[in-house]
Amino acid sequence: MAHEGAESIIPSPAQGVGPLYQPDGEKPTATVSKDMPYDNVHVLPQTPQLIALLTMIRDKKTGRADFIFYSNRIIRLLVEEGLNHLPVVEQPVTTPVGRTYLGVKFEGKICGVSIMRAGEAMEQGLRDCCRSVRIGKILIQRDEETCQPKLFYEKLPSDISNRWVLLLDPMFATGGSATLAVEVLKEKGVPEDRILFLNLIASPSGVADFAKRFPKLRVVTAFIDQGLDDKK
Amino acid sequence: MESISPLYSTPTAAKQRYSPPWADLSIIGIAGSSGSGKTSVAMEIVKSLNLPWVVILVMDSFYKSLTPEQHAVAHRNEYDFDCPDSLDFDVLVQSLKDLKQGKKANIPVYSFAHHQRQPQTTTLYSPRVLILEGILALHDPRVLELLDVKIFVEADMDVCLGRRILRDVRERGRDIEGIIKQWFTFVKPSFTKFVEPQRGISDIIIPRGIENTTAIDMVVHHIQGKLDEKSEKHSEDLRKLGQIALELELSSNVVVMAQTLQFVGINTILQNPETEHVDFVFYFDRLASMLIEKALDMTIYVPVDIETPQNTSFRGLHPSGTVSAVAVLRGGSCLETALKRTIPDCITGRMLIQTNARKEEPELHYLKLPNGIEEHATVMLLDPQISSGGAALMAVRVLIDHGVEQHRIVFVTCAAGKIGLKRLSTVYPELKVIVGRIEEEREPRWMERRYFGC
Repeated sequence: MAHEGAESIIPSPAQGVGPLYQPDGEKPTATVSKDMPYDNVHVLPQTPQLIALLTMIRDKKTGRADFIFYSNRIIRLLVEEGLNHLPVVEQPVTTPVGRTYLGVKFEGKICGVSIMRAGEAMEQGLRDCCRSVRIGKILIQRDEETCQPKLFYEKLPSDISNRWVLLLDPMFATGGSATLAVEVLKEKGVPEDRILFLNLIASPSGVADFAKRFPKLRVVTAFIDQGLDDKK
Repeated sequence: MESISPLYSTPTAAKQRYSPPWADLSIIGIAGSSGSGKTSVAMEIVKSLNLPWVVILVMDSFYKSLTPEQHAVAHRNEYDFDCPDSLDFDVLVQSLKDLKQGKKANIPVYSFAHHQRQPQTTTLYSPRVLILEGILALHDPRVLELLDVKIFVEADMDVCLGRRILRDVRERGRDIEGIIKQWFTFVKPSFTKFVEPQRGISDIIIPRGIENTTAIDMVVHHIQGKLDEKSEKHSEDLRKLGQIALELELSSNVVVMAQTLQFVGINTILQNPETEHVDFVFYFDRLASMLIEKALDMTIYVPVDIETPQNTSFRGLHPSGTVSAVAVLRGGSCLETALKRTIPDCITGRMLIQTNARKEEPELHYLKLPNGIEEHATVMLLDPQISSGGAALMAVRVLIDHGVEQHRIVFVTCAAGKIGLKRLSTVYPELKVIVGRIEEEREPRWMERRYFGC
C-alpha cells in the first residue's frame, strides 16, 4: 500500500480486499485506511475481516448492541497489536511434554488511561485482554469561552511514571483532547516513548500533527479516514 | 477386495488421497425364511463383535410404496410382500454402494401402517460393519457382489410358522387367520421360489439360528480378521502419506500466525507448566480469539456502501453467507469460548474422534453436524492441536462427505507439526488451515487436558 502523504486531501483509497487465496481481480473492493508516512503510526492490517468490522461500526443504521459488540472486537485487535510494542526478555520454558520452547516474557507494568467519556467504551476490550489492568481517567472538555480543550478531571495510578500507558480514545479528529491528555501524562512523569495511543478511527491531518508533535509516542489505529474531519 | 475411494471436489487433482477406515466396509448378508431367526443371529453377531461401528440394516426399509389399490389389497392380507418385486433393490444397491465408498447413505423409512415410504430418511454414515438382514438378502446379484459374507439361516418350517404367528400377533397386532392365510398364499410359495434357492449361493448355512454358537463364532472371527487388516492398512496409508509429505513445502493455503512478541509471549505462558490453570484458560481463550479472527479472513465478503453518522459514504464489506463451526471433540471444545466471543450465535456442530492408543488409528465415535452445512459459506473445523494429522484428515473427510466443498473448510488449530500439515494439504490442497505455531513432530495432545484440568 503506497499512497500519497497525509497532507493531500483525496478520498480514502479503495483496494481489493479479500481472502488471501482469492486472485486479486476477484476480491471485492472496499475503502481501506490511508497509509501514513510516519514510523510511529501503526495501522492494523487492512484485512477483509477488519474492514467488515469497521463497516458495522461505521454504518449509522447499526444498532447500539451491535455497535458495542463489533467495536469491542476491533479494540481487542488494537490491544493485541499495541501490546506488541512492550519490551520483552527471552524466557525458555520446558513445556508440559518436556520440550524446550524459546519463549518471551513481558517486562514492565502497564496501565490504561481512558479519555472520558468516549475512551471508557474501550475499557472492556482492554480488560478482555489484560484482566487486572489498572485504568486511570482523564476528563477533557472544550472550554466554552476559549474553545480550547481544557482538563477538568484526572485520576491516575500513583506509580504511573513507572508504567507503560495505553491511552484510549476511539475517535481522533483534530486531536485536541488526545494532545492535552499526552501533555498531562508527560507532566506526571510518563516518558513519551512509553505511551501507546489506541484508537479506532483517525483523521489523516489530525494524526499527522499528532505523530509529528510526539515523535516517540506510538499510535495504533484501525483506520485512518478522510470521512472523519474537524467536526466530531 | 479393492477399495474404490472417491475423489471429491478437487479441480486440481490431488496426487494423494485419504481413504477413511469406513470406506470398503464389510457387509454381511443374512437371508432365510421368515421366522427362521435372522434377526436373532444378526443381534448375536453385533453382540459378539462388540464394536461401536456395527449397523443392522433391515431390508423392510426398502419396501416399495403401495398404490391405494395395492394398499387395500394389502389390508385384506392379499398383497405379496415376500416376492422380490415388492422390494426396491435399486435404492438398496445404491445405498450399499455409497456406504462401500465411504459416503453417507440415506436409508428410506417405511411405514407398515400406511404401506408407504415416509418423507424423512435415516442417515447412515461411517459404519465399518453392516449386517443386511432380510428374507431376500442374497437375492439380487448386484447385492451379492457387494457382500463380504453370505449367510443363510435355516430352521424347520413349522418352527418358522410358529414364530411368525407369535411375532405378528404380539408385535404387529394381526389376527391369526390373516397370518395363516398369508403364510400359505405368499410366504411359503415364495420360500420355495425365491428364498430357498439363496441357500446354494451362501457361504455359511446356519442351522438352528442363534443356538448355533459355533457358526456365529466363525462369522465373528472372520469379520474381526478383516477389520484388523483394514485398520492396519489405514494406519499404513497414513504413514505413507507422512513419508510423501516430508518432501513437500508447506502449502500456501496453510497460514501460520505472525510470531509477534505478543503472540510468542502468550504461547510462552501457555507452555509453561507453572502457569496456573485459571491463567492458562484466560490466555488460551485470548490466543484462540486471535486465531478465529484470522480464520474469518478466509470467508467470503461482498462490497457494501454505507452511510456513516457523519453522513459520509463508506465502501465497506459484509460477510456473505453463513459461517459455522464444527468442533473436533474433545479438544475442539477448548476453542468454543473464543468462537462465541467472536460469533456469539455461531452454529456449531460436533464430532468425536479418538485415536485408538493401541493401533494409533483415529476413530470416529460421534457426529452431529448442523443442518444445511453444505450451504454454508465457510465451515471452521476446530481442534487445538494437529500432530500426525490422522484425526484432521478424518474430520475434513467427514465434512466433505456431508457436502461441504473442500475450499470452504478452514481448519483452525493452535499448534501443528509440519508433517501433519503437509499430509493434510497433500490430500486436500484447497483446504485452508490457520495455525498458531508450528511445533515439533509427534507432539502429544496436551492442551485440552490443561484447558479442562483433566
